Amino acid sequence: MKVTRREVLKTAAAASALAAIGSPLTTVAKAADNEPEQWVKSVCRFCGTGCGVMVGIKGGKVVTVKGDPNNHNSGFLCLKGALMPPIVYSKDRVTKPYIRKNGKLEPASWDEAMSLVASKFKASIRDHGPTSVAYYGSGQALTEESYLANKIWKAGLGSNNVEGNPRLCMASAVGGYVTTFGKDEPCGSYSDIDSATCFFIIGSNMSECHPILFKRVAARKQADPTVKVIVVDPRKTNTARIADEHVSFKPGTDLAILNSMAYVIIQEELDNQRFHNKYVTFMTNDKQKVDFDAYMKFLEDYTPEKAEKISGVPADQIRRIALMFAEASATTSFWCMGLNQRIRGVWANNLVSNLHLLTGHIGKTGASPFSLTGQPNACGGVRDTGSLCHLLPAGRLIKKPEHRAKLEEQWGLKPGTIAPKPGLHTIALWNAFSEAKVKAMFVVCSNPAHSLPNVNIYLEGMKRKDNFMVLSEPFMDAETVKYCDVLLPAAFWCEKRGTYGCSERRYSLLMKSVEPMGECKPDYDILMDFAKRMNVDPKVIPFKNIDDVWNEWREVSSVTPYNFMGITRARMEKESGILWPCPTEDHPGTKIRYVRGKDPNIPKDYKNKYHFYGKKDGRAVIWFRPYKGAAEEPDADYPMVLTTGRVIDHWHTGTMTMKVPELRRSFPKAYVEVNVEDAKAKGIKNGDDVILETRRDTMTFQARVSDVCRPGLVFVPWYDANLLINKLTLNAFDKGSKQPEYKICAIRIKKA
Amino acid sequence: MKSKITITKTLAGLGAAFCLCFFATQVSAASIKHLKAPDDAADCYTCHQKVTPRVAQNWYESKHGVALMKCFVCHGQPDGKGSIPFAVVPDAKSVCRKCHEPAMLRMEKKFGIDPNCYVCHPFHQNSMHHDAYKKSISKKE
Repeated sequence: MKVTRREVLKTAAAASALAAIGSPLTTVAKAADNEPEQWVKSVCRFCGTGCGVMVGIKGGKVVTVKGDPNNHNSGFLCLKGALMPPIVYSKDRVTKPYIRKNGKLEPASWDEAMSLVASKFKASIRDHGPTSVAYYGSGQALTEESYLANKIWKAGLGSNNVEGNPRLCMASAVGGYVTTFGKDEPCGSYSDIDSATCFFIIGSNMSECHPILFKRVAARKQADPTVKVIVVDPRKTNTARIADEHVSFKPGTDLAILNSMAYVIIQEELDNQRFHNKYVTFMTNDKQKVDFDAYMKFLEDYTPEKAEKISGVPADQIRRIALMFAEASATTSFWCMGLNQRIRGVWANNLVSNLHLLTGHIGKTGASPFSLTGQPNACGGVRDTGSLCHLLPAGRLIKKPEHRAKLEEQWGLKPGTIAPKPGLHTIALWNAFSEAKVKAMFVVCSNPAHSLPNVNIYLEGMKRKDNFMVLSEPFMDAETVKYCDVLLPAAFWCEKRGTYGCSERRYSLLMKSVEPMGECKPDYDILMDFAKRMNVDPKVIPFKNIDDVWNEWREVSSVTPYNFMGITRARMEKESGILWPCPTEDHPGTKIRYVRGKDPNIPKDYKNKYHFYGKKDGRAVIWFRPYKGAAEEPDADYPMVLTTGRVIDHWHTGTMTMKVPELRRSFPKAYVEVNVEDAKAKGIKNGDDVILETRRDTMTFQARVSDVCRPGLVFVPWYDANLLINKLTLNAFDKGSKQPEYKICAIRIKKA
Repeated sequence: MKSKITITKTLAGLGAAFCLCFFATQVSAASIKHLKAPDDAADCYTCHQKVTPRVAQNWYESKHGVALMKCFVCHGQPDGKGSIPFAVVPDAKSVCRKCHEPAMLRMEKKFGIDPNCYVCHPFHQNSMHHDAYKKSISKKE
């Protein structure tokens, strides 16, 4: 924003007048009008931190929110969480069903809309088989909704085409945890922050994406300035403000840095030999079990000097951060999309866990490899319930006959009900939909027309007339609304009851605070209606209400290491979140996994302290993952790198945060962040229009010139529906996790 | 000892009186003529670095600044069209409470006072907007 000298002087004059004028309390009186009559317990609607929220109700309306003092956030909220109420009453809420007729969405009754949906899905299954229909869900849907949809499709309709936006945000973290530990989800908890003495933050702008966790890290650092903070990020974000070391590197080369840190740790004899001798398997990239010496030999390619050549990080800095990591009494790592949204996302995840397994910084208070999640219920809703194309609930895999058989038995269904072949992963699914090979798609609580990478090709697919998309969505201005054939008015956040499970394995209950607006319905009701119209076997959907779904899911979990039988509805209503495993009603929940005496899955008299029970031999794996570059490295034609991400003021596709006047005004439109040196070389000044061009499309953004990006890198936030940066991003994906590489693609820029 | 207590009490009284005067001389939101940002953007900090540099820098170096709890979260929007009322002095009971209710209740219990944060925590001066990270990288530079 440009400010002239005259404007500055005028405002200064106004500011100096402040001291002279009286009557301070008029706004206070206005604020007091909104004093709630009742507070209802809930969870924030935004990021994966999953802060507890109390919703203030007056006259049947949400008037304010405050932090839940009994949840992990101790009453604190970030700027988005503190400003949620206007979203509920946005004029852009979808309040009745619509059917697209002659290219235009026309109001319809629920019966008309759902009859059309059922007839399209039935026709598709009849003519093209069950794999021609799909569900595309969300890490923002309630746990019960995702569990229900997963069951309807996989057990009721015979289609394993169950996917959702969590594939785009955390699939590599799942792949990382499963390959390293044999089981998904972090082994530590947020409370580790309070006792960690070193924080290793890589590929995460915690400050803007998980503000309340960052606040907790910052408070730890403030309480004890000897606590070390290492931030590894090619952008010097607000997170780096509290860092002792900010490590800027050439995008995509972090694998080399992580291997180099392991090299230094071993050379300095800071590895915990007792730990890794007893609890770790060393494994080559092609799954050969080898010994520690082989690992040392593998790491010889990653001396700090060699890693410096690859990454641009000074060898001395690599040595410094490796020593900080290893010498601390308790190191906790945090990472997020910077590692996950990569074609080597699983490998990057493995390499962070390697450092913890090498040094023994695991299974102790304050020491944990912790993957942050982007959405409020990606963990509890999608990962845990197995609502992806290759998974079944509680970490089971579709491809394993014994897993299918056990689940069929638990569900009381005949053997063979669940199809043995995994469905299509997100990119393959949308490719198939764009080619009309998948004919009917049910999208719930997600905005794929905005969030898919290289989105132009999928927008063309959504425009086709020979496929069918039904969308359950609360907001009329969501990009996907432009393309759906039927639009269903979804109840939003506090208008329904159900569970969210955040990054730390914590399940919290969102209690219904107010009645849904207009004709809106919770997705639970919509999915049950759909299943009945599809004549799904009543044994698949034996539910009278959403609590029945939760109770069945508890039962299903009880024979697995996820076991949360003890998290009853009555307990959830009373308490503010409980961490699984939690096998009995008197169990307090589990903060540390894989440790005898702390993890209820390990017998109290087990011979060893640690037991990585996800692996047959009880040992976690240190993987030899070599450095490999990005799918689209910069070259002579496209010499720079584009990366995308968030700003603190907006969340995901902006359909919610753009409804809050303060947040909208804070960042009304997306911009391109350019380094000072690059801007100078190209004659770009702050506020200039800049043309961004990749091999997929060309767009124009206003420049923000700063030293946040390193030279050669540009950043664009992805929230803005009017400036869809995903038209430029790449849909190449990790072969293991199938998660696309949003974080790196080649680009060229010039002043417009 | 007794005189020390008397001096402390007097200083505390003077401090409280100063705070109250300070509070009482604040303006109502309606009486402030705030500039309209030309492109409708509202990055308060960018402008206030120039017009009220001390306040802006205090915020930047404060816990609220490090945690990016931006001006509008507590003060609302100058055009009065925000989701909370625009206030130079935010209403503690509706604004501060969103995050600090546990502390407010503790203070109320401990001192028996109405939870008006500003009496003890003068905004933009210390406590709320103070130097949070003297040894942080941002301070070193």
